Amino acid sequence: MTDFIFLLIKGVLWVAVGVGMVPFLIYFERKWAGFFQSRVGPTYAGPWGSLQSFGDMAKLLSKEDVVPERADKAVFKLAPYILFVPGFLVMALIPFGPLNVDIFGHKVDLVIANFDAGAIMFMALGSIAVYGIVFAGWASNNHWSLLGGLRCGANMVSYEIAMGLALVGIFLMADSVNFSQIVDGQAGNFWNWYFIPQIVAFVIFFISSIAELNRDPFNVAEAEQELVAGHMTEYSGMRWGLFMFGEYVNMVVMSAVIATLFFGGWRAPFTALDFIPGFIWLIGKVLFFIFLYMWIRWTLPRYRYNQLMDIGWKIFLPLAIANLAVTAVIVSVVQR
Amino acid sequence: MESSTQTTIEIPEAMESVFAKVEQRFGEKLLGTSFFRGELSITVAPADWVEVAAYCRDEPSLAFERLDSLLGNHYPARKDRPFEVVAHLTSVSRTARLRLKTQLAEGEKAPTLTGVWASAGWDERETWEMYGIVFEGHSDLRRLLTTEDFEGFPLRKDFPLRGTVGGRIRTDLKGKI
Amino acid sequence: MSASDRDTAHPMQDHVHMRKPKPRPTPEELRARKEATRQRVSGSVETITVSMGPQHPSMHGVFQAVLDLDGEVIVNTDARIGNLHRGVEKLAEYRTYHQFIPVTDRLDYISSFAMNHGYCEAVEKLMGVHVPRRARYIRTIAHELCRLSNHILWLGVHIMDFGAQTFFLICFRDREYILDLFEMLCGARLTHSYARIGGVAKDLPEGWEHKCREVVDFLPKRLDEYQRLITQNRIFLKRSVGIGIFTVEDLHTWRVTGPCLRAAGVPRDLRKDEPYAAYDEVEFEVAVEYNSDVYDRFLVRMKEMYESCNIIRQCLDNLPDGEFLAEDAAHVLPLKKNVMRDAAAMVQDFVHVFRGPQVPKGEVYRAVEAPKGEFGVYISSDGGPKPQRLHLATPSFFHGQAVPALFEGEMLADSVGIFGSADIVLGDSDR
Repeated sequence: MTDFIFLLIKGVLWVAVGVGMVPFLIYFERKWAGFFQSRVGPTYAGPWGSLQSFGDMAKLLSKEDVVPERADKAVFKLAPYILFVPGFLVMALIPFGPLNVDIFGHKVDLVIANFDAGAIMFMALGSIAVYGIVFAGWASNNHWSLLGGLRCGANMVSYEIAMGLALVGIFLMADSVNFSQIVDGQAGNFWNWYFIPQIVAFVIFFISSIAELNRDPFNVAEAEQELVAGHMTEYSGMRWGLFMFGEYVNMVVMSAVIATLFFGGWRAPFTALDFIPGFIWLIGKVLFFIFLYMWIRWTLPRYRYNQLMDIGWKIFLPLAIANLAVTAVIVSVVQR
Repeated sequence: MESSTQTTIEIPEAMESVFAKVEQRFGEKLLGTSFFRGELSITVAPADWVEVAAYCRDEPSLAFERLDSLLGNHYPARKDRPFEVVAHLTSVSRTARLRLKTQLAEGEKAPTLTGVWASAGWDERETWEMYGIVFEGHSDLRRLLTTEDFEGFPLRKDFPLRGTVGGRIRTDLKGKI
Repeated sequence: MSASDRDTAHPMQDHVHMRKPKPRPTPEELRARKEATRQRVSGSVETITVSMGPQHPSMHGVFQAVLDLDGEVIVNTDARIGNLHRGVEKLAEYRTYHQFIPVTDRLDYISSFAMNHGYCEAVEKLMGVHVPRRARYIRTIAHELCRLSNHILWLGVHIMDFGAQTFFLICFRDREYILDLFEMLCGARLTHSYARIGGVAKDLPEGWEHKCREVVDFLPKRLDEYQRLITQNRIFLKRSVGIGIFTVEDLHTWRVTGPCLRAAGVPRDLRKDEPYAAYDEVEFEVAVEYNSDVYDRFLVRMKEMYESCNIIRQCLDNLPDGEFLAEDAAHVLPLKKNVMRDAAAMVQDFVHVFRGPQVPKGEVYRAVEAPKGEFGVYISSDGGPKPQRLHLATPSFFHGQAVPALFEGEMLADSVGIFGSADIVLGDSDR
């Protein structure tokens, strides 16, 4: 019974943090964009405009919900949820503290689901999120949306493979696909983290994750200048808001995954700093990667869709395989 | 000042050679020539229109590679041939210009220049919609600047500046387009 | 301005030499490539038709291109304009030569002084008005400022077409300095109406020269900053090099002019070839590139901006004293400050406003090098105070027409960049 209560508390808290971050992430994105573009960004709603996203949300909620007459209505309505529900599920897999912590005399795992095949689950759920975009593109019955959905589908297929192969190196080093054990494998100071031995995998994973998140310079699916708004062209009001919401949730999740896999998850960079809760370290790392995503988005132009595929198939895939081979050899030699 | 501007007709040497060349080739086919402010205008019959234009482009010593603009004009006072098509040729390599003109009667068709310069396409569409001058051989004579349901030819002199002809919202097409 | 100074003002030169010469497809190869795409599709493959515009984020204005796509490859294009048609040529026939100047602002509203200037040059040619030297210098300065503002805006929009949104706003920041100069000059930021028949509307305000010099000294530094951001940016290079190639023959037959033509290696610049204003008295180089792709059009415009700064600096150095409006009672409006003091000026004003200027019979065609290309004005006069026919051969009209030829066989994602590189403003093309 107490296990269940703790699970409930963990679930509610973690999701609340994830969801609560999104409005502020949007706010920060706009502030950062303003900073990069020598303007000020939102200033009116709340102190320094920090409540801007809530105002936007109220606006989106009060807008008319337009469903195109010839759209595939059921799929059209379902699509935004497919995009962000997997994001939440992945959140459950991310450890934000050690296992078997003693809280008020109870042994508690500071992870919602200590799932053995966590990393594999993450890959699987990540693939499901693509369906949200592809469905949206298909169901809108609009050429621009369709092209956006197709591009997104092709994009995902090419990057998931490189991404998955990049992760195998980590699995070999940690000897596990469980997120908690991967974090344990990175115990110690920051030079024990996996991003140093697995720097190639990290670069591949990070760049692929930008493609997976559909952000600049890889946001070919909603390429504003070509496809109007890609898969979101026909969406309006809160349905459109759900897409944006889903994208930011995915960004949080992806940053958390990167932090967990390559940057020691909830662990402090120096063991001396362990008195600060792991939760805070994790959030800090997540925010850092989110900032990286924003920085890249507001700086670089966009690749063309076929160039994107070129990078995925011709550079990242061979590189990931080579990385895997080298890691496998080294790990097998060292562990003997 | 004014009297002097009226009478100045300077013929640059470059123009002289152009004129000599065209006259030598076409002779009597040139219906009229005029110089004004250093610009040479040559009037030809509609039947010779394309031939003269193509010659001006292809002859190496003329080399008018480009059609700078093609436009129509309307002189209601001229009863027999009120319409005029004016083409401005430009030679990029020789930095020279030439104006070709042809006069048309009401309803008379002009041959198209699209075979000589592709850029004549939209110019001719515009001339057609504005003056009603049909260009024979033009593959795509649709309205360009005005709406599809526009009535009349707006740049003709008898077309009023203000009015409600054409361009209105068609309620009868509701639901059909 | 010494020669060495001008050499240092070309940081572009290094970049250009750094580029490896690329094998450029011959016209035949290009044609074969496009034909092959068309062949591939004309068979059984099903194409989808999308309407790009008139309300599309990347169509600069209300331009509509109906595209037939095979996957992502464009196989057929139908360009449509006319959504912004205002009947400018008809309006001209109902206005005196003076009254038409504000209407020309609305043609290419990004660089409206160039439009004023082109129109006034044509009218002056028709009337035989001699423009005072100072006025010609002021016109040159204003025209080059216009070119700068147009190219900076173009640059921002063009890079944004490739997805870099920050650049757009950075460019707007710098365009603001030029708009401020124009505001000081004539009170308007966009629709200047600054040129007059026989000169300009006002003399340079006090302190303007200093401000202008500051801006042209400072803009090249900003341009260098742009270069660092864009010129060697790998993504931009990937997106622009070898895309949207146009052969010289095609350019001529479609009447593509201005930077697009110069990017194909044709050193055609009306400022040199048919000098007007004070362009024959300043030294400058015509920016030429040879590959005729999107990237070279970008380079040409970048070089032109450096040259514009040069020209303005030279004009400011040599700015002569004297009148800024011709004293020509038959053709030129008198100064407003004289109208209420001087009987002759009052009569002159009265005649010009109520009847219009005295114009000889005849027809002229005058073209100037507007920022977007060659802007030609044809005026046919029957001796009255209003033109019998006025035709505006605007660059965007022809560039828009050339779009289908440019698009076919390219990818949808590139179409945006190609369209941007042609630099089209719909006010200009629809008239």
